[in-house]
Amino acid sequence: MRKALLVLAGVAIFAALWEGYKVVGNADGTVLFGVRVLPRADDLSMPHLWTVVQRLGRPELTGGRPVWIVVLQACLFTLGITAVGFAIGALVGLLLAVAMQHFGLVERGLLPYVILSQTVPLVALAPLVAGWSVLWPAWMTVSLIAAYLAFFPVAVGMLRGLQSPASSGVELMRSYAAGWWRTLVKLRFPAALPYLFPALRLAGAAAVVGAVVGEISTGTRGGIGRLIIEYSREATSDPAKVYTAMLGAALLGLLVAGAVSLLELPLMRHRRHVEVVTL
Amino acid sequence: MTSSAVVVDKVTKVFNQGRADEVTALSEVALTVGEGEFVSLIGPSGCGKSTLLRLIADLIPPTTGTVTVAGQDAGTARKKQAYGIAFQQAGLFEWRTVLRNVELPLELRGLSRGERKTRAEEMLALVGLADFAGHYPAQLSGGMQQRVAIARALAVQPPLLLMDEPFGALDEMTRERLQSELLAICAKTGTSTVFVTHSISEAVFLSDRVVVMSARPGRITAAIEVDLPARDDTARQSEKYFEYVTSVRQALRGVPAAAPS
Repeated sequence: MRKALLVLAGVAIFAALWEGYKVVGNADGTVLFGVRVLPRADDLSMPHLWTVVQRLGRPELTGGRPVWIVVLQACLFTLGITAVGFAIGALVGLLLAVAMQHFGLVERGLLPYVILSQTVPLVALAPLVAGWSVLWPAWMTVSLIAAYLAFFPVAVGMLRGLQSPASSGVELMRSYAAGWWRTLVKLRFPAALPYLFPALRLAGAAAVVGAVVGEISTGTRGGIGRLIIEYSREATSDPAKVYTAMLGAALLGLLVAGAVSLLELPLMRHRRHVEVVTL
Repeated sequence: MTSSAVVVDKVTKVFNQGRADEVTALSEVALTVGEGEFVSLIGPSGCGKSTLLRLIADLIPPTTGTVTVAGQDAGTARKKQAYGIAFQQAGLFEWRTVLRNVELPLELRGLSRGERKTRAEEMLALVGLADFAGHYPAQLSGGMQQRVAIARALAVQPPLLLMDEPFGALDEMTRERLQSELLAICAKTGTSTVFVTHSISEAVFLSDRVVVMSARPGRITAAIEVDLPARDDTARQSEKYFEYVTSVRQALRGVPAAAPS
């Protein structure tokens, strides 16, 4: 209940800032020494929020389906791509982390490449991946791009988590004659969960970005990324339209983050009640 | 031959051998712990008492010499879970309830769910925490966590208990209560114990024998048999108790030990 109120308050504050800026801001933006430091506040650049909401209800093209249905469908399409990319990315990240933890040598050899992988511009990589797409459907290419962004936080966060148990815990497992696998399952993996979930949230956001950018750079149709590009072409005549697509993309990100939180609930039960008994 | 719980024979342990930071932690150490005996290792920090305990537990290998636990080499004994171990930090798994923490060694031994639960509940009752089985470690005080750790060490009903300053982080009152509880448990189960501490009074109160060690290199310098008629609060005040404390203190300072008559 309190959470719902906080969310509503957050939305209200955003709306107030947006509309407030439109009231006080310069319509041509504020320019300081030739640099525009504040954006234009005119209706073309920043349409009123209610215009955006109204636009959602009106047809996409004359006589077509209403925008909100189109946006929702595009979101669902991209959600599917994101989910597949997220799953692949998380799995690859997990396996990499386990390998890096197990073989210290692999960590030293692999970690620089893992970091390097994220500095390669995605836009440069996308056409390359698209070139292989004879092997799988076009949407899979976008999923792979999403996975490429998603695996990184999981690999790094999980590695940190797997290394987190104190030496006393590791020695204890050794005293129980537990091998590598059982130490991983009983000790390292549960100990890594507090590190895993923030990493998964980052990975979720990265997967959404990867899916949206991937759709744009590979020219995949049907998703929210494509919709943003299409609608932004009409920005001069119909400025509210592109914002409806952006709204969709934002909701998509929230949805993915929410899904990760749901995953966390049953696994982090021990964190919830921390009242200390003294006896 | 196998009437000794632990036999440490001419064990030397060198860390970082052949490197600039080479340290001889233990030099030619020999120690025998009889069945059902309670032996304390005491000495200044850096004397290798924890190293000796870890050698017995086969957490680290000796450089030279042999360690025998329950008639077999230390590695085999470890694989058979022939001992239970507790450290200074309780080291409970925070994502497991108290009961599930105690069940952990039983789980790794492959006991059935029902057996595990029964045994773990028994152990928790033994350390007086039966009512806290469903709690998480973060909900317990330090003393209670340590008791859970002891219950966990005892869960497989090992013939040997290894403890590395288990009460080191606790306040004096809790410490004394847990000492009495530990003695009662050891008496009940007939467990042999190797107990590392740097508290003289704790060593004397608990032990049948106090083994005094000195540092650089770690060696055993004296072994003092402690023969107290009873181990209770009156024993803590007795003349004899203080005589033992004095002789251990003298041994620690390098004065030749003169055992009380």
